Amino acid sequence: MKFGYVSWLPETDFMARFVEELEKNKLMGTRCKGCGARYLPPRAHCRCGSVEMEWFEASRKGKILAYTLVTFPPESMSKNSPYIMAVAELEDGLRLLAQLTGVAVKNLKIGMSVRVTSHRTPESRVVYRFETS
Amino acid sequence: MRTEKVGIVGVGHTKFGKRADATIRELAHEAVKPALEDAGINIGDIDTSVIGVAADEFAAQLSSGVLIHDYVGMKDKPTFRVEAACATGSAAVRAGWALIKSGLAEVVLVVGAETMTHVGTLRATELMARAQDTRWEYPFGLTFPSSYALMATAHMHKFGTTREQLSLVSVKNHTYGAMNPYAHLQKSITLEEAMKSIMICYPLNLYDCCLISDGAAAIILATEEKARKISDTPIWLIGLGAASDTMMISERESLTELKATRVAAEKAYKMARITPDDVDVATVHDCFTIAEIVAYEDLGFCQKGEGGKFIEEKQSYIGGKVPINTDGGLKSKGHPLGATGVSMTIEITKQLRGEAGKRQLNGAEIGLSHNIGETGQYCFVHVYSR
Ligand SMILES: [Zn+2]
Repeated sequence: MKFGYVSWLPETDFMARFVEELEKNKLMGTRCKGCGARYLPPRAHCRCGSVEMEWFEASRKGKILAYTLVTFPPESMSKNSPYIMAVAELEDGLRLLAQLTGVAVKNLKIGMSVRVTSHRTPESRVVYRFETS
Repeated sequence: MRTEKVGIVGVGHTKFGKRADATIRELAHEAVKPALEDAGINIGDIDTSVIGVAADEFAAQLSSGVLIHDYVGMKDKPTFRVEAACATGSAAVRAGWALIKSGLAEVVLVVGAETMTHVGTLRATELMARAQDTRWEYPFGLTFPSSYALMATAHMHKFGTTREQLSLVSVKNHTYGAMNPYAHLQKSITLEEAMKSIMICYPLNLYDCCLISDGAAAIILATEEKARKISDTPIWLIGLGAASDTMMISERESLTELKATRVAAEKAYKMARITPDDVDVATVHDCFTIAEIVAYEDLGFCQKGEGGKFIEEKQSYIGGKVPINTDGGLKSKGHPLGATGVSMTIEITKQLRGEAGKRQLNGAEIGLSHNIGETGQYCFVHVYSR
């Protein structure tokens, strides 16, 4: 799978679709046609049991809820360290975890506005990340 | 279902630490032998075993459950293995309790074991990171320290919790770990040492993080009738609560609590017919210092947001409101994943029996253990009485 900085999972049609949209700078979630639950990151099946899901485009603007600077990474991420990880709440109320760029740690504050952007890594992998706006 | 109680009649614990002298089978044996001696029974008196081992990747052995079961002398008897990440040991205790309550067994051996140090810290961090969502969160470099660090920055922002308060948890747990002959790092530390240690994931530094350890722990559970025959000092498991939460940390309703703790604790208190005020001693999941502070709050030992103040006022020391992690906790005693929950049960058993040595507190009647798997994906709370 080419999604994420590192992954051991096989590519699926579902993930291929998500990545295809992400490369066009669209952040796609799924909505359950049965109960209306929204998922970001998307799921192919709803927690209510339904398989009737539809894609929707999620907001790409939000605010930081929590952050950390990882100076001690897992083995597979050693070459990317250090990196900032954050959880942000997007304008549509959904939450996302990603790395954050464009700001020094000392200037980081909870509540800071961020945008979700698509990014291609030097290894041609695709990720979303937060950028301060 | 039977209405009688389930008793703990024997406990055994290895030295936790870097145990290059043994693999998982020998460590398990080292815990089981004293548990049998403590109970005064033979391995043949045990009906079945439950084995808790969290990760095959560490032992480089699949099905280490039956490996251990056979090695300690229980071949031909039934067994199965339990896994719930860092809460594996407490899940095994719960399974053992259920086997007795169902009538399938009268005497059950519960073993928790893990060998982690031989893989190295970078590799161990990598393997444990894969216990998180490998599609959406692990691929971004999320580690366990970073998951808890996210909770820490959120908690600091919302409640004004400080890095010093985090370090104070570490100082306390090392104070007690120094008194525990089975602890991995038997030394006390100063606040300054704790605060100046190398940063792992801001705001968590080295002394905010638990140890990666090898070790095993074993207990023997029995029906009320058998427990009274086997032991003069059975300790009763009187309340069990468990809960789970979203696999992804980004989906949590709150980043300043572990909801699974609140839910599991409520169930355990209700079953034991007690309130948090009745707890005389507790072991709580301090994989990171922020986790212990959040646990004070979620278990109801203090109000939400006052966990930092709770440690600052030494309320979790012996002599305080609820002595917590009198064995040194995961921080100082060590955290061999599968062994941890069983080890927590052993500390409470010893405190209630009055066998906790230098760290013994006076007259404890009710104890509690709280064990988290991952970042609150799993939670098990057990309540004990004399
Ligand atoms: Zn649904």
